[in-house]
Amino acid sequence: MSRDVARAAAQWLALLESGAATERDHAALQHWRDSHPQHEQTWQKAQSLRQRFSALPQALAMASLDRPQPGRRAVLKRALGVAALVPAAWLLSRQLPIDAWRADLHTATGERKRLSLAEGASLQLNTATAVDVDLAQRRITLVDGELALNVPGTTAMTVHTRYGQLRVSQAEVCVRQQASGCLVSVLKGAVQVRDLNGQLATLQGGQQAPLKASGLGAWAAFDVLQLGWRDGVLTAQNQPLGDFLRELERYRPGVLRWDPSLEALRVTGSFRLDDTDRILNLLAQSHGFKVQARTKYWVTLS
Amino acid sequence: MNDAVVPTHAPELTLSSLYRDHRSWLESWLRRRLGNAWDAADLSQDTFLRVLASAQPLAQMQEPRAYLVTVGKRLLVNFHQRRSLEQAYLNALASLPEASVPSPEQRWLVLETLQALDELLDGLPVLVRRAFLWSQLEGLGYREIAERLDVSERTVKRYMAQAYEHCLLVDL
Repeated sequence: MSRDVARAAAQWLALLESGAATERDHAALQHWRDSHPQHEQTWQKAQSLRQRFSALPQALAMASLDRPQPGRRAVLKRALGVAALVPAAWLLSRQLPIDAWRADLHTATGERKRLSLAEGASLQLNTATAVDVDLAQRRITLVDGELALNVPGTTAMTVHTRYGQLRVSQAEVCVRQQASGCLVSVLKGAVQVRDLNGQLATLQGGQQAPLKASGLGAWAAFDVLQLGWRDGVLTAQNQPLGDFLRELERYRPGVLRWDPSLEALRVTGSFRLDDTDRILNLLAQSHGFKVQARTKYWVTLS
Repeated sequence: MNDAVVPTHAPELTLSSLYRDHRSWLESWLRRRLGNAWDAADLSQDTFLRVLASAQPLAQMQEPRAYLVTVGKRLLVNFHQRRSLEQAYLNALASLPEASVPSPEQRWLVLETLQALDELLDGLPVLVRRAFLWSQLEGLGYREIAERLDVSERTVKRYMAQAYEHCLLVDL
């Protein structure tokens, strides 16, 4: 296509959208389109461009595309300077993590971190997790996600969640916070729990209980393999594939969808969390389904 | 003596020697600017792909690192533009009322379209771009756009033609 054709089409479009086009203009435009296949092609290309715009949610598109433009030179300057902390696309698939951005420490989807704290204590963050750490107050606030905290010493640390607080000393605990509440699993020692109403209760090693706005639920024994993420492993013991995939999704940026017929298949095994694409491919081989990647961030199993 | 351009003692540059000798250097150069290893590894791969796809004959390249840096800088700028779009998009999503937040699939689809359109519009003057967006996204008429921008309707029409021409010429 030549610049001339593009220019002519652009002039026509600008005229039509001005609302000032007459009958004669319309006829002349039709004639222009008919006079050469390239004209019509260009015209169709313009129409599909317009459709792409009109299919977008207006407010979102406007705010994104009409964002303040720093100009190429400023962008280059910033690009060549020290990296700014920017949220990556992975955030999009999760609930909107505004609080998470403001937190002191976070992990991206699929990322895990381990930190050493004072007096031999250590903190591990699982995928898509945000915490605020106040070492002076010996307080860790779980904003979002899942953490494991080991406090071997006698000086307690507290974990604040949206649903209550935990007091941890000479103990090891794992807390996963979700929209409906937290799941508290005590690995070692004893952990004191204070719910939002101020009620106190104690969970012992090997006990797991939900902590919700209504208080601490009944405890049950749990399999420590459930918490394999601390060693970078996801373990399944004759687990329905649907449940396994829902767990795996937490570690993958983007969207994972699967055919409902796959839900009931069973999975057994230990999988390294470092490469979740590989896990999907392994399962696809052993269970005879197909992995289709629509984009890097949108994978369908069927 | 044109032969002097390529010193005879220099080994001939091939893509594999370029990759072998400069990849880790380029990656650390990018990592310093991006602050993380994953994006740096991605961008360094992209840089070599660009070099592979470019018409520049490798054998004649005098300063391979300078060339890699030139390509790398361009990719860094694109990368930051994408990030700034993502950030604006996330902020816009976050300010929507809960009920009108699109589903995860839609969020990705919309983001993909936005990225494509953002690249398409790249290089247009700010006012032209804005006028075009108001027209395409908000369906504003030329008179309203003219009022908002404090320019004449004729100018708005010229902006529209300019924007359309720009978009139609990209990836021809």
